[in-house]
Amino acid sequence: MLRFGKFLRKIEVEVVVARNALQAEAADAGKFSDDFVDKSAVLYISENFAKNTGLKEGQIVRVSNGERSVKLKVAISDIAPENGAVMPNSIYSSYLSDFSSFKRFKAIIEIEDGKQTTPDEILDLIET
Amino acid sequence: MQITCTGCSCLCDDITLRFNGEKIEEVRNACRRGAGIYLHHSSNMAKPKVDGEEVELEKALERAKEIIADSKNLVIYGLDTTTVEAQKVAIELAEKMQAYIDDCSTFCLGDFVEMILKGELPTATLEDVKNNAYVITYWGTDPYNSLPRHMSRYTYYPRGGKRQRGYEEDRYLVVVDVRKSHTAKLAKKNARFIKVDDDLELIDAFMKVMNGKAPEKFADDAARVIREMKKADFNVIFGGLGLKYGLNGNYKPFIELTKKLNEISKVYFIPAGFHANMRGFNETLFEKTGCVNRYSFREQKCSNDFAFSRLIESNAVDTALIIGSDPLNSLPFDVAKNLAKINTIVIDPRRSFTSEIAKVVLPSAISGVEQSGTMVRSDGVKVEVKAVVEKDVNDVYLLKDLVRAV
Repeated sequence: MLRFGKFLRKIEVEVVVARNALQAEAADAGKFSDDFVDKSAVLYISENFAKNTGLKEGQIVRVSNGERSVKLKVAISDIAPENGAVMPNSIYSSYLSDFSSFKRFKAIIEIEDGKQTTPDEILDLIET
Repeated sequence: MQITCTGCSCLCDDITLRFNGEKIEEVRNACRRGAGIYLHHSSNMAKPKVDGEEVELEKALERAKEIIADSKNLVIYGLDTTTVEAQKVAIELAEKMQAYIDDCSTFCLGDFVEMILKGELPTATLEDVKNNAYVITYWGTDPYNSLPRHMSRYTYYPRGGKRQRGYEEDRYLVVVDVRKSHTAKLAKKNARFIKVDDDLELIDAFMKVMNGKAPEKFADDAARVIREMKKADFNVIFGGLGLKYGLNGNYKPFIELTKKLNEISKVYFIPAGFHANMRGFNETLFEKTGCVNRYSFREQKCSNDFAFSRLIESNAVDTALIIGSDPLNSLPFDVAKNLAKINTIVIDPRRSFTSEIAKVVLPSAISGVEQSGTMVRSDGVKVEVKAVVEKDVNDVYLLKDLVRAV
């Protein structure tokens, strides 16, 4: 079966923001640690969504909402909605959201190179 | 030693740990998050700072006093992870400064706590749930991640009172969510997962079933849950952030639903989620002002306009005193950006994103690890928390010093 989504450069997705126990533990241990970035700068998608879009575990994607975007690592998980995505509650999801779409928002995903965005990069944008 | 965990609003009081006088070496009974708070208690500690430069605590405290004394419009925010004793001093400071005061419950579950305190939603304690509850509904909450021991210690899994036959026979689990969360995956035998896109549609379905009508959606789910609730004299709904944002401020249909459910059975409501002492803040402010959050001592009333985020977005305040909270982590970018432009004083035991942009940082003590006091569990039960090692400089000490200075 041909999956046309595989060839799309930009994928629109609804993102649900949710708590994650492992990420909360990493936040308590230190929000400037690599562990916090690893567990927060993540986009969880379902296996089905990954098949349809061609996204792969560990791939870096740019997730944008309007003019704001962050680079996250893709993780395949059975807690993600069938055709959507989940992000842990953190500076990354807060950066992408506003109060009209605080815990659920529409975002655009594009495949990217490089590493996940760091909290310091977001802090720089806040302070400028 | 036995202690009470302050990792979340479960406030589990059966935690044991081994402390060698310097370091906590072992934690037992706690969930992963709770254990982490104790095992990592000395990591990522905040340092006293003024304008980003590390200074002596006294100097940082003096600068904080000057900023507060000079402020014309002060907002005090946070307080959900500290003790009731500290919350009372912060409220005293807000009153003295004719300031605004707010906490995370404004965008979390404060509305539900207010409805409970005003008697609009029937409620019960977690011990009542353990001993009596048959249908246990988690609506828009994923306790598996946010309150990891909620189900094992208080609700679904334990045997107690009238419920001695174990969860597979003596409990009926309902999970309502927009996705199949970890909690939803537990809904197997004697259980039901209801996937919603619009919470009002499910409320409508329950109402129609109780009124003898056939709903267009959720007909089978709603009928089954109502049938199960009728079998028992004690059922409970735990409501979380998903329910709050699903209702989008329109709480009337949900209040009507709980009233109608209580005509056919007994159904109680308990908020599920939030920081260790968010309910403590709601109750403490409610006792003083009749409001649970978003309060202005100058205007003598609460209003959506006095929500911390609204005040910051609209540039209505020149100074923010933030205690035990990290709004840069949890609030949208526009709020964070404006917060960086005003005088921000952070009182926090740990280094946070907000402490990075603050004019003044005052390191304090971790509640339940380095500071003792009272907290209020999610169901309204008061719990005493005892420090492992009491620190002299804690939230109460710092806030009292600020009150004296102004």
